[in-house]
Amino acid sequence: MAKAQRGDPDSSSEDTINEKMVDHVDSTDDEAPDEVAFEDSKTVALQSVKNALESARRERESLKEKRRKRQLLFQEQKKRRLLPEDLLEELETAPTTQQEQQLPSENKDEDEEEPMKKQRKASKVRSLQGNYSVMRVKDDTIGSSQQQAAMDFIQSRLYGKGIQRMTNAQLLSLEKKRGPNKGAAVQFANKQMSAEDNAKAQKCNKRWIRKKNLVPS
Amino acid sequence: MGEFKVHRVRFFEYMPSAIRALAFNSRSEKLAVARMDGSVEIFNRADNLFQEKVIPGREQRTIESLLWVGDRLFSAGLSGEIAEFDLDNLRVKYTLDAYGGPIWSMTGNAQGTHLAVGCEDGTVKLFEVLMDRIQFERNLDRQKGRIISLSWHPSGSKIAAGMMGMIRVFDVKTGHPVHRLLVERAAGTPRNQDCVVWSVVFLSDYTIISGDSSGKVKVWDGKTGTLIKNHQVTKWDVLALSVSQSEDSLVAGTSEGTVVQFQFLSQVLGQGEKEWVATRTFKNHTHDVRAVAEIQTAFVSGGMDTQLFVRPFLDKVECRTQASAIRKVLFPHRRLVSCAKKAGLLLFQYPTHLELWRLGESEGHGKPGTILPVKKNPEKLLHLKIKGEDHICCSAVSPCGEWIAYATVSSVRLYRILCDNNNVSITKVSKLPKVLSSASQLCFSSDSTHLFAASTHASVHVIALSQSGCKFVHTFKPKSGSTQCAHLLATSEDGAWLGSAHTDHHVHVYNLKKLKAHCTVPVYNSGVSAMAIHPTTNNLVMVHADNQIFEYSIEDKKYTNWTREVQRHGLHNLWLEKGTPITHVTFNPRNPAHIVMHDMNMFCIIDQTLPLPENMMQFHNQQTLQVLPEKERQSAMHAFKTCKSFQHLMCVDLLDDQSLVVVERPLLDITTQLPAPVRQKKFAT
Repeated sequence: MAKAQRGDPDSSSEDTINEKMVDHVDSTDDEAPDEVAFEDSKTVALQSVKNALESARRERESLKEKRRKRQLLFQEQKKRRLLPEDLLEELETAPTTQQEQQLPSENKDEDEEEPMKKQRKASKVRSLQGNYSVMRVKDDTIGSSQQQAAMDFIQSRLYGKGIQRMTNAQLLSLEKKRGPNKGAAVQFANKQMSAEDNAKAQKCNKRWIRKKNLVPS
Repeated sequence: MGEFKVHRVRFFEYMPSAIRALAFNSRSEKLAVARMDGSVEIFNRADNLFQEKVIPGREQRTIESLLWVGDRLFSAGLSGEIAEFDLDNLRVKYTLDAYGGPIWSMTGNAQGTHLAVGCEDGTVKLFEVLMDRIQFERNLDRQKGRIISLSWHPSGSKIAAGMMGMIRVFDVKTGHPVHRLLVERAAGTPRNQDCVVWSVVFLSDYTIISGDSSGKVKVWDGKTGTLIKNHQVTKWDVLALSVSQSEDSLVAGTSEGTVVQFQFLSQVLGQGEKEWVATRTFKNHTHDVRAVAEIQTAFVSGGMDTQLFVRPFLDKVECRTQASAIRKVLFPHRRLVSCAKKAGLLLFQYPTHLELWRLGESEGHGKPGTILPVKKNPEKLLHLKIKGEDHICCSAVSPCGEWIAYATVSSVRLYRILCDNNNVSITKVSKLPKVLSSASQLCFSSDSTHLFAASTHASVHVIALSQSGCKFVHTFKPKSGSTQCAHLLATSEDGAWLGSAHTDHHVHVYNLKKLKAHCTVPVYNSGVSAMAIHPTTNNLVMVHADNQIFEYSIEDKKYTNWTREVQRHGLHNLWLEKGTPITHVTFNPRNPAHIVMHDMNMFCIIDQTLPLPENMMQFHNQQTLQVLPEKERQSAMHAFKTCKSFQHLMCVDLLDDQSLVVVERPLLDITTQLPAPVRQKKFAT
């Protein structure tokens, strides 16, 4: 900001001088540029500096405001995620009765898990509408996610970015072009293959016609 | 040959799965092939590369590596499990979690006592191979980063492990790494992308050969851990390596679809130090080659283009024989289409669903070779998705079109279908007999009253079907102690006989009226690829993988005179050299002397009344016959009439109304659905 402050007035004055010089040189030109007084340009420069300062301040403030709002939103979300207080109170009383009903053979770990499970169940029941119930059909194990990651690795290494590949149509067309019995590119020869492309092209054509208003409506 | 109305069917969208791993057992000459969908196929190299066994795949089973230990077959994959296969009953015997995350590779020592698996978490785990299971023994020192490839030194003392950007050599006894061989990444790749050592081979002279993602085949000295030679093979990845048993030849499969052969040669013949030299490049594939295997005098390669290719090394072949021919396996050697002859329905078997189609209709008669106008389009009646994770291993539709059955390794399901006008309703038959827990082949009797299911231990169950449900009738068991399950079943038209062909080449015939074993056909040394019982004479016609045809009279329990004639005379060389086995045999009810059979490339009608072709005669002679005068034509005719106008056949069958159903799957349609190939720049294109 300081740089601009220092530099601006000088440069503007230089400009005016230059313009005058130019005036002297091409005297053939009829229209002379408007003369600008030094005072005027100074005020203009000062104004622009002021504006810049102002806008920077405003920006900072708006950013602050945004952050504050976001913070609020987070807090609200956190609150929303928690269960309502009355329910929590209920829960506090519930586990004791539940534990009494449980068989004594169950070990401690499961007891600790119990309230957690209940919470989850309660929340699910609340979100479900109608006559539905939730059950676990299949576990998503660590194994399957690791397997997926491994397959993704192979995929990225063989078919990922930076691996130069072409389409099968291009390959087949190349063979048609270079091979002993030459023919048209596959997308023209094989109707089945080009069906999708054709549909797309036709759609495009229609849009173009409509855009250009070739058919008067 | 006769004129037929032909239904040319092209709506079976069969899509083979890409080949991921190969393993060759040099003792039994069996080749195991693992596909991306988790299925494993066993080919017999000694028997014209016939696909003897297929173990169906399973969802989430991704096999990365196959290994023979003696006659036992193991697989390991990204699901983190090691599995052993039950090759008699075509299923997984057991699985064992290695607890190291996804398994990238597996290798065994030369003695056949231990397995080593390389895991995602950076451990190499050793397993001991016991009589009926495998047991975890110990881990080698854990490394940072996944173990992509493994190779065990033939002496058993060291293991080389390919990782991200390096190769580690482990001492098996102590479990500590001995060497670290750094593999630099290719020029121009991002800094965060390490070079992947896709494959590594440890030779007995302590040479390590590696293939990596920078497209190089590197030869290392395993004793000192230094690089000896660097071969830039391709711009893309070198994905697979395999060395011959004598360790003088090595093949490398690349992303480009090429297979490069290296040989251990000296610069001057017979003197000087030997080194690995790239000698030949084979281009058999259009897509990435994911697996290669050296087998004695040839190499096998397979990859993303789903084709299995066997190519002989001509320098190792002494004389040109059947076994030294180039072989290509594109389609499975068994039927995926079943046809309801009376109702005109087709059942297509996909890995995870079944489709039932009704054939279209046409009107009028045209000249031979013309296309008739279609009156009614073929319609898809049913799309049946299977439950569970196992893929379908066999399926069948009854001739009347009322019943559909399919089997996976864990269950058999039977459905009843009612079609009235445009409404199709399907009901599952709920109470199947308990014995019907799995089936390797299913077949309905010609009057659709019985279902036959080939099951474990070579048994065949007979189930009676009725409106109310189904009832278990009998279980046939062969008298001889064969335990391998049947892969083909055939019933006679009159419902009296049932033939079953087993993977150990046995063929048994059962009497369905008396419910007992009738006879066993003399064992031939080649597997049965197709068989059927003649509707009028009750002769069992068997076609073997080596293209020999036998006709066996069930009632007389002996080969027929025609078979004796064929054996005495011999078949035409062109027929015997055919590289694709016959997959289906059927008969023409109007002309009982005609046998219709087909393979992938053609279908043919064999006229038993005509003489067999001499070796000197032209085999495909229909064109010539047309221009010959009447008198000469009679003498030039022979029994084999082939038709190649329909290409890449999945099924050819004769319906009861004398029309021919031809199910085609053009290779072009398969190619267009494959994953992307590498970019090829050809000059002036």
